[in-house]
Amino acid sequence: METGFRFVSNGDENPHLLRWRKMKTIMLCCSAGMSTSMLVKKMQAEAEKRGLDVKIDAYGVSEFDEQFPHYQVVLLGPQVKYMLESLAEKTLEQGIPVAAIDMMDYGMQRGDKVLDFALSLIK
Amino acid sequence: MSTLYEAMVGVIERHITPMAGRVGQQKHIIAIRDGFLAALPFMIIGSFMLVFIFPPFDPDTHWGFARSWLDFSVRYRNQLMLPFNLSMGVMTFFISVGIGASLGKHYKLDPIMSGLLAFMAFLLVAAPYHDKQISVAYFSGQGIFTAILAAIYSSEMYAWLKHHNITIRLPKEVPTGVARSFEILIPVVVIVATLHPLNLLVEHFTGMIIPEAIMQLLAPLVSASDSLPAMLLSVLVCQILWFAGIHGALIVTGIMNPFWMTNLALNQSALAAGAPLPHIYLQGFWDHYLLIGGVGSTLPLAFLLLLSRSVHLRTIGRLGVVPSFFNINEPILFGTPIIMNPVMFLPFILVPMVNATFAWTATKLGWVSQVVQLTPWTTPAPIGASWAANWTLSPVIMCLFCMVMSAVMYYPFLKAYERTLLKKQDESQDAEAQVALNS
Repeated sequence: METGFRFVSNGDENPHLLRWRKMKTIMLCCSAGMSTSMLVKKMQAEAEKRGLDVKIDAYGVSEFDEQFPHYQVVLLGPQVKYMLESLAEKTLEQGIPVAAIDMMDYGMQRGDKVLDFALSLIK
Repeated sequence: MSTLYEAMVGVIERHITPMAGRVGQQKHIIAIRDGFLAALPFMIIGSFMLVFIFPPFDPDTHWGFARSWLDFSVRYRNQLMLPFNLSMGVMTFFISVGIGASLGKHYKLDPIMSGLLAFMAFLLVAAPYHDKQISVAYFSGQGIFTAILAAIYSSEMYAWLKHHNITIRLPKEVPTGVARSFEILIPVVVIVATLHPLNLLVEHFTGMIIPEAIMQLLAPLVSASDSLPAMLLSVLVCQILWFAGIHGALIVTGIMNPFWMTNLALNQSALAAGAPLPHIYLQGFWDHYLLIGGVGSTLPLAFLLLLSRSVHLRTIGRLGVVPSFFNINEPILFGTPIIMNPVMFLPFILVPMVNATFAWTATKLGWVSQVVQLTPWTTPAPIGASWAANWTLSPVIMCLFCMVMSAVMYYPFLKAYERTLLKKQDESQDAEAQVALNS
């Protein structure tokens, strides 16, 4: 854990504050948020290695509606890719991109590739 | 064989996948699934009480520990039953609120309001009130389908009223806050004014209250849901969808849950009455015999992967084995891959179906004890199997048998797949060696 002065804000969930801090926010979503939570750890490790300021969380589809507005991009597990169209409809208004993760990257839990993919979608 | 496989994949991609997409995203099916999810913790903890009330020991045992537990359970039976009765015994309360709130969220209504509205709609039709007493007969399994229908009806009505802006019009001079305080009364009025007369009408003409009539209507379907063909069909659908990369279990359990819960409640009341348990195919059976380590029963496969000579398969095994203990197997399904891999199609489909047939037969013959408790699906399979059957030993043996069957059936197909991977691995190593030589 780093010591010394650190910017502490209790507005961690505020998208405007996060944008101001240049933090990237990524949401992963699968059926129950279980297998994506494994991938979150890999992606966080990769981001740390690169010294990137990111916030990555995993949720189940039932939490999709409440959670997606807090993130800049949403990635779906391939097993819920069949919901892509209807979920994209919901995020369209806020202009938040939604995409499905590649099956092999998901299976191999390639945190680096999925992180690259997520960052490429944030613009 | 290969043309047959291609034809099958064609059918899956053109017909089954789009249909699964439609069913899996149908708003009512999603709401029912979420409603059960919300009710689950109450029901899991409530049904856990059963082990204290009905300890898993022979009533004639002389073992001191078991003896004192049995005596304790007999002596304090009423006190021990209370948490069970007020959770499992009134599961429809949690289910109706859960479904109502979920549908409310879908329609962007206040979820608390739509949940409570669903609760009231359910009580109106399912809680006969006489002499200051409410009958609890339809608050458990027998009321599930009524709770679902009441919640869907009330939420749809609430959404419809909101959408069509049906409200009480007051003169402009009335403050908006006052107008709003009347507005929220409308859905409640409409629910009472429609459901109560309906209930009286049904009772007048059939002599039955609504949940009674609904259960009578659905009885053939509910009993058919607990049969070998129904079980094999539901497993087959789940496996085919997953093979196509679609979360089939999400869809199948969404549909099966109301049936499982209804039949689970019947098993529990039979246990309480000391009668033989009527039902076999329940959630605990599905989770801990058919989805050992996740869909396709891949926990034994994860062990086989760890021993593989292919670097890729060993990597997947290492990634996947720990989550597999908790029935999460996406790394194995997508990494191996099993999804859309023609070599793995047959074992992936057949393993759970063969295991289902064995477990069903053994249970039917009375060799394995039946499910009476709800369990979290993430419980490691042998433990979950025992827990579901009130902590008896026979389901553990059944579960281990299913694991051996799974390993035996996956092994030859995995070997065949491994051979093709090793060939590629050698080729790429050769190529690398060649490059190294040339440079």
